[in-house]
Amino acid sequence: MTALVGQSPERSGGAGRVTGRHRYLGDIRVPGMLHAKLVTLDCARARIRSIDTSAARAVPGVALVMTAADLPQPVPRFGPQYRDRPVLATRETHYHGEPVAAVAAETLAAAQEAARLVRVDYEELPAVVTISAALAPDAPLVQDPALRAAGPLANTNVLREHRYGWGEIDAAVSDLVVEGSYSFPIVTHFAIERHGCIAAADPEGITIWSTIQHPYWLQRTIAELLGLPLARVRVIAPDPGGGFGGKQHAKYEPLAAFMALAAGRPIRLILTLEETFQAVRRNSAEVMVRTGFRADGTITFRDIEANYLLGAYADISDRVVGKGTYLACGPYRVPAGRIVARSILSHTPPSTAFRGFGAPQVIWAAESVLDEGARRLGFDPLELRLRNLVRRGECMVPGDKPADGDWRQSVLEAARLIGWDEPVPAGRGRGIAVGIKPGPTTGLSYAAVRFLADASVVMTAGTSDMGQGARTVFCQIAGEELGVSADRITLLMGDTAVVSYDQQTSASRSTVLMGNAVQRACRDIHAQVASLAARAYSLDESQIEVGGGVVRMPGRELSIGEVVRVGLGSLGGELVGIGECRKEGQKGHPLSGSAEFYEFNCTAVELAVDEETGEIEIARYATVSDVGKALNPSQVRGQDEGAAIQGLGHTLMEHYVLDSRGRICNLGAIDYRIPTSMDVPDRLVSAVVENGDGPGPYGSKGMSEGALLAVAPAVAAAVADATGAVIRDLPLTPERVWQALSQRPQTVPQLAATAVPQIPGVRNR
Amino acid sequence: MTGIGYERPQTLDEAVAILERYGPAARLLAGGTDLLAAEHDHALRDCVLVDIKRIPELRPAITESDRLVRVSADTAMTDIADDPELQLSLPALTAAAASVGTVQIRNRATLAGNICNASPAADTAPPLLAYGGHVVAHGPQGIRRIPMAEFFHAPGLTALARGELVTAIEIPVPAPPAGSAFGRLSRRRGADLATVSVAAVIDASGRTRLGLGAVGPTPLLVTDETGMLADRGIGEERRISLLIRMLGAARPISDVRSGREYRLRMLRVVAQRVLAAAMAQRAAAEAWRSEGGR
Amino acid sequence: MAETVPVSLTVNGRQRSIRVTADCTLLDALRDELGLTGTKECCRVGECGACTVSLDGRIVDSCLVLAAEADGCEVTTIEGVSPTGAPGPLQQAFLDAGAVQCGFCSPGLVMAARDLLARIPHPTQADIRLALAGNLCRCGCYGQIISAVLAAGNGLSAREELPRQKEAAR
Repeated sequence: MTALVGQSPERSGGAGRVTGRHRYLGDIRVPGMLHAKLVTLDCARARIRSIDTSAARAVPGVALVMTAADLPQPVPRFGPQYRDRPVLATRETHYHGEPVAAVAAETLAAAQEAARLVRVDYEELPAVVTISAALAPDAPLVQDPALRAAGPLANTNVLREHRYGWGEIDAAVSDLVVEGSYSFPIVTHFAIERHGCIAAADPEGITIWSTIQHPYWLQRTIAELLGLPLARVRVIAPDPGGGFGGKQHAKYEPLAAFMALAAGRPIRLILTLEETFQAVRRNSAEVMVRTGFRADGTITFRDIEANYLLGAYADISDRVVGKGTYLACGPYRVPAGRIVARSILSHTPPSTAFRGFGAPQVIWAAESVLDEGARRLGFDPLELRLRNLVRRGECMVPGDKPADGDWRQSVLEAARLIGWDEPVPAGRGRGIAVGIKPGPTTGLSYAAVRFLADASVVMTAGTSDMGQGARTVFCQIAGEELGVSADRITLLMGDTAVVSYDQQTSASRSTVLMGNAVQRACRDIHAQVASLAARAYSLDESQIEVGGGVVRMPGRELSIGEVVRVGLGSLGGELVGIGECRKEGQKGHPLSGSAEFYEFNCTAVELAVDEETGEIEIARYATVSDVGKALNPSQVRGQDEGAAIQGLGHTLMEHYVLDSRGRICNLGAIDYRIPTSMDVPDRLVSAVVENGDGPGPYGSKGMSEGALLAVAPAVAAAVADATGAVIRDLPLTPERVWQALSQRPQTVPQLAATAVPQIPGVRNR
Repeated sequence: MTGIGYERPQTLDEAVAILERYGPAARLLAGGTDLLAAEHDHALRDCVLVDIKRIPELRPAITESDRLVRVSADTAMTDIADDPELQLSLPALTAAAASVGTVQIRNRATLAGNICNASPAADTAPPLLAYGGHVVAHGPQGIRRIPMAEFFHAPGLTALARGELVTAIEIPVPAPPAGSAFGRLSRRRGADLATVSVAAVIDASGRTRLGLGAVGPTPLLVTDETGMLADRGIGEERRISLLIRMLGAARPISDVRSGREYRLRMLRVVAQRVLAAAMAQRAAAEAWRSEGGR
Repeated sequence: MAETVPVSLTVNGRQRSIRVTADCTLLDALRDELGLTGTKECCRVGECGACTVSLDGRIVDSCLVLAAEADGCEVTTIEGVSPTGAPGPLQQAFLDAGAVQCGFCSPGLVMAARDLLARIPHPTQADIRLALAGNLCRCGCYGQIISAVLAAGNGLSAREELPRQKEAAR
């Protein structure tokens, strides 16, 4: 049975996963491999005076102890935005967990023992680990100014400042101006599969196995660092066990590569869970938002200042800030807007991409301010959103890609699902919020389809399936186009030696970009089939139509497979189709290109608060995304509900606790809490709006991040509705909620009733 | 490499001899859930793990005679939480056992291990203190019965001497009409260490014993001998002020899980709720008796 | 040199004899000595449940069990649940419900769900949530997982809403 688009066939690769047969990076054994262990210091920042490796090297089974001195000099640096991160710390460490040395041994136990015996003579230095500390005039500089581009920021910890704006903020006339400062905590990805890699060098080149989401970026990074041609760097990327952005870019693969060259044997490095907390995290942020409203609820201006706290090395985080704040004014009609967003370096673990890519932080603040405006105007927060939401074709940022959906539908559907029109049960409150995020701004994906003589198919696509189910979707597209069932398709991914280039797996792009490439590869097959059919049946190609798995000719309709079998003749062989999907950048665009699509989501929540303890109990939760077309409805639902639960993590319980010396106090699973089965709302429902208006195959858009964007403001709005307590800092732990309850003012300021005109359809709650 | 040895004594005497020989380097291994989580952190080095699960006297067993429940050292939380008779006779204990960690943890973690680990937040300590009873210890000097109230000395430190191990815990079943309950607060609904925990046991005379967890260096026991705390006839205000006085013994700290002030306030909230549940249970038991029950 | 101990245990119905260091966990013994990599490693402190196996009929976190402790015991791993590699009914329910995204937590979850159904053949939603509280899924499949176990246990289709059981005094 061919699994067609719009149906929900079983997850491709699912059977192997539920039976434990599927092999992740950590399950791979390379003969002769040595086990590696990192050596780190117990502080945020230190000057390294000397490192004594003699005791470590004497441990039986130890093959190699590497420090910066053993690397090419000057120590090579890498990074997707700036080449700022050294392969090993040189002279100074810049965050709690930055490796100063690494050990490789026959067993992990020997490596751990040796790592403990590496003696580092160091002097702890003052560290800046908060935004205010990093911005203080006398703050120590996180990065050597010599590594920075020249400019007014070079001698500050502000890596970069992004400015967007339009209209005349100061000329805006408002009946109400709402202002607030909000904070978003440091949280980490906590993929259940930890980051890891294996590096194996041979005389011809090097092979790197990695949990990486972007194999081709890694290939490029390693090739540059080692001075090898791309064709001699093979990256094998097994499907990751969760990524969420934390596995996009190289972390310790370069170190493993140098160790493999030095040791002459393969090197295997798997991080502990605690080490992953010290390797990847989301930018935290402090966001100040001012918004003007007219009495009728329309927005007059939005003025946003967002400071994001990056780690000691930029990774991709400055891009996160620039892109994440670009639409900070929201999916609204905003006559005047100003956004200033700063990427601020600190002596903390490097932040990187994380589902939402800088948008959740600013949406937390901006949607909360909108909610505050609704309260003060006496407006229904749903109505306030609807009143200001852009319609399809209207611009959010003047001159840039306009709204590509009828987003009002998503908002109305979320409201319907939560029962917005029904009376609120006693003791409960409701909140609603929307989120928007731009999709990929550039892209390049190649797909290849080999249609074999027996009508089975081998495909290649360089996407990373880390749980979102890309494999299933690509097989469905091939099934739809070529009439091949999933059990007759082999899909090769994650091997740069065998699979053609894919720029990256991020920004919810793969269904659209790689999906288009797969579809085009299939249509390349169609064209070749038409040719075959013309020859085989003595027809003109214009008489032949190929699509949906069949070949239509005058007087007959055959499956593609049949035509291919006949057409290939006694020699057999195969047809090879290539598909490319390319999105070029746009010179001069602040993001280097417009978004291919927007992700839009509306989230609505109904909850109760135990006012004695501050505990939140979510009774109902609805999330609706505008997806164009759900190629696999079950997987779409899994992505949206999964994103919602992940968002509840940073909303209710996740945050790093740092001590005064910048060390993370809650490393690991016991004191860093993520949602469990017990924490899922009783009634969590998701829905999609499908108008076939996306640029992907069959009208699809990208999705999977949208449902995380507005979780926090929706929950906080519901808490305010239930209790009157307005909270501007995340997470909403029971303790924080309890503190806010004990401090709440007795009355909430309201506009005078006469200032609010009677407007049909407005429900004043 | 890490200097960890493993012994598996087959008898109690063997176990005692090993403990005597190695002293503090010997670490008892029953459920292993606390010990091996610490191992992960390389906190265990140059020590000997003494696996006591094959010693016949220690094998999982819950017995009751003459209103005294005896829980052997290797009895796991699952066995305690799921025991239907214990659920009736010692409900605060079964509730606490059911709150420890997850199913996987409860299948291994033992009652004895929980108290010997002596964390200030040990979930089973409050009910054990509130019910009273003894820890039965076997050592080079023979057998000792240590009153529960004297068992916890400091975080990680108990009354056990060198060479001693816990063989059983004895818990008296309160004579009816009695009521007992357990409650705790944590950072999320899913499994979590307790921010605060409280057990209340009200006996037939109306005396109330409260076990308090995670609010001091050791689990605490506070007692109202007067019977006022559990007496509905006394006004609510007086009862609450008595409760607050009793809770004054608590000395919570601020740590990565919670701030001190929140702990203090939640102690009061949880204690009130637990007390109310215990009182309701006792009232139900009284009503049942007066209707001609046993 | 580290002291090693001999361990004899039955794994998925087969008698196995290995020699491991005293501090070798059952998890490491299964994965490294016996090549059974279906059981996964993540937190190593008994919080995430990725390493869940069945030990003498009860599920445990194998990262918190020494291999030496399992001497003479019976262990069932995910490989033993479907010896041929073909998904059994419970695993198929996971697939049908869309409860597998990255799949890294899936072996542990299958073990926990299997254990629940053995103890409570027709579990409620509350039973399931409690039984699976020791298995973290960062992809957030909990809703689909609960549906899968409900379906496997009760013959229900996904997403039946069952009344939430209120907890007693907290």
